[in-house]
Amino acid sequence: MARKTFATGMLDALGHSLQQDPSVAVFGAWSFIVGRGLPAEQEEAFFEKYGDRLIDPPTSESVIAAMATGAAVCGMRPFVNFGTSSFAFEAWNQIINETGNARFMSNGQLKAPLVFHMYCGIRGGGAAQHSQSPQSMFANAPGLELVMPSTPADAQGLLRTAIKSDNPTIFLTHTKLLQWMGDTPDGDFATPFGKADVKRAGRDITVVATSLMVREALTAAETLAKEGIEIEIVDPRTIVPLDTAAICASVEKTGRLLVAEEAVATCSIASEIITIVAEHALHALKAPPVRVARPSAPLAYAPTLEKVVTPDAEKIVAAVRRMLTK
Amino acid sequence: MTASLTSGERLALLERMLLMRRFEEEVISAAAAHKYIGRNHLYIGHEAVGGPALIQLGARDVTHSTHRNHGHMIARGVDPGKALAEIMGRVGGLCGGRGGTWHMTDPTKGFGSTSAMVGGSIGMSVGAGFARKQQGEGVSVALFGDGVLDEGISYEALNYCSKFSLPVLFLCENNSQEGAHITSMLAAKRLTDVPASLDIETHVVDGSDAEAVHETVRQALAKIRADSCPIFIETQLARWPGSHQMRPEHTTGVTDVTLAWDETRIAGEHDDWVRSHDPIRKYAAKLLSSGAATKDGLLAIDARVKEQMAAARAYAEASPFPPAQTALENVFA
Ligand SMILES: Cc1ncc(C[n+]2csc(CCOP(=O)(O)OP(=O)(O)O)c2C)c(N)n1
Ligand SMILES: [Mg+2]
Repeated sequence: MARKTFATGMLDALGHSLQQDPSVAVFGAWSFIVGRGLPAEQEEAFFEKYGDRLIDPPTSESVIAAMATGAAVCGMRPFVNFGTSSFAFEAWNQIINETGNARFMSNGQLKAPLVFHMYCGIRGGGAAQHSQSPQSMFANAPGLELVMPSTPADAQGLLRTAIKSDNPTIFLTHTKLLQWMGDTPDGDFATPFGKADVKRAGRDITVVATSLMVREALTAAETLAKEGIEIEIVDPRTIVPLDTAAICASVEKTGRLLVAEEAVATCSIASEIITIVAEHALHALKAPPVRVARPSAPLAYAPTLEKVVTPDAEKIVAAVRRMLTK
Repeated sequence: MTASLTSGERLALLERMLLMRRFEEEVISAAAAHKYIGRNHLYIGHEAVGGPALIQLGARDVTHSTHRNHGHMIARGVDPGKALAEIMGRVGGLCGGRGGTWHMTDPTKGFGSTSAMVGGSIGMSVGAGFARKQQGEGVSVALFGDGVLDEGISYEALNYCSKFSLPVLFLCENNSQEGAHITSMLAAKRLTDVPASLDIETHVVDGSDAEAVHETVRQALAKIRADSCPIFIETQLARWPGSHQMRPEHTTGVTDVTLAWDETRIAGEHDDWVRSHDPIRKYAAKLLSSGAATKDGLLAIDARVKEQMAAARAYAEASPFPPAQTALENVFA
């Protein structure tokens, strides 16, 4: 086991990928690698070893997405770092119409093995345009895998799988997770998609959480444990594909479901998970399921307005208490 | 030198530019004192573009701005107290604390929506030009950095304006002349080759020369108003050494107007920027040497600006954060 940050976990996965597969090329390399906590000599080694495959393109998200797709179809494995997820909105047409559809439209003749990496979420003072949580927008577009890791180990293992995957993968990193430390298996490893991870076992309520919300749920669990309430935290890790069996199995055990998500609640991942449980495990529910998510409004800059709508441990605790006292 | 500016107007222009500078210095100090989150793109070094260009606009003229918008606000005469309050996330800010540093706007001063996306507002400037042409009065001014030419929408915007003869001044602030912080990657030899290839009249002007910018913009606006056509002006700027920092500091020191007549006291790591590129110092020195200003006159201008900023600071600091229960207001009309 090694202790590392989320950011360096991703960099290790990228390093192993570049080393083992000459078809891996990185767009937007500088901001992904530099200043993310690697020792200076390791940072330099990246550029020395793989310089010709580390590309810093113009601020042209649309063509970057398109060329990554074109290159992927021609045998490359591009890893694109868009920076803040809202920048990728510039490339919406390319990602949704071209990348996601390429395999299906060709009746399986083409494949587009690439990764679109983005920093997402409420970062503090980012205001409406720099605080986007686009997960359900991408989940709603067929043909795109969607990964939302919450720990350094998951970040490393899932990024390794994303780069190996023959499908286009959207990889969302919550900005606030970058410096989170955690234990990570040694060496090169890959974590399978579609396998949820129970981050904390419990009997009273199933809390499905992704990305930063896993950390908030873990904090909430500590508070609730002191009151004798044990929540079970299920982290799906990948939204597409989604481990519905693991989620339903947990709900069968606890009889209650709360989904914590940072995005706007309307048509969200939380909505989808509750629907799936309603379809497959309604009989197990002892209480109506609950979403802890954002109301449908753009995010404001002022800290008071930001805090009141941001899903966090406090709001999870309050929601759990309400569910159990009803 | 410039027939179009009276000496009173020249002093007023310098005063506006100095207010733009002192405003940013206040923004830095407020951030250092942890009065707000403190991530900004400052306008320091660009004052000789926004100042002389925007001071000429009338009430019906529309401007759209970018992440580097603070100076544009002050140049058009927005209340500095309200602008500072917005950057500090206060309810008394231009947008009630909702927009913050990146999304300030003041429609009463002719601003449309301000975007923090590179290329986010240039297209809206085309729409403002369309609206003003239909309505028969006023023009649109698109304010943007060189980086916007990297984005495809800039081509679409220029092409549309040229094809439909819309009254839009494209005012590009190109701070990618040289050095370590280049914000665009254009294959064309000159930035103006792009609009020129779309049959748009182009001009290049030294962005640290307030009167050169004033005159170029004056002539362009006259033509745009008369003929309803787009014109593209590239202003070339030496990047202020602190401009790439997300948490800016007083990188080149707090502006000292006495350096306008006492160059020997210019010092520090970035003395070259102060000596050769600081548009405020350059313009103050020019007004002195041409006899349009006196040392005492400059000191009096600075004292007035400082007083105005002290009042702005007091207003912003006295303004509370917006109440949490208003978080969902103003999503729809
Ligand atoms: C669509 C988009 N992509 C990337 C960014 C990140 N970004 C912020 S400022 C900036 C540079 C912009 O350069 P320029 O337009 O020349 O303005 P400058 O900061 O130099 O004044 C970039 C790439 C962004 N804000 N929006
Ligand atoms: Mg620039």
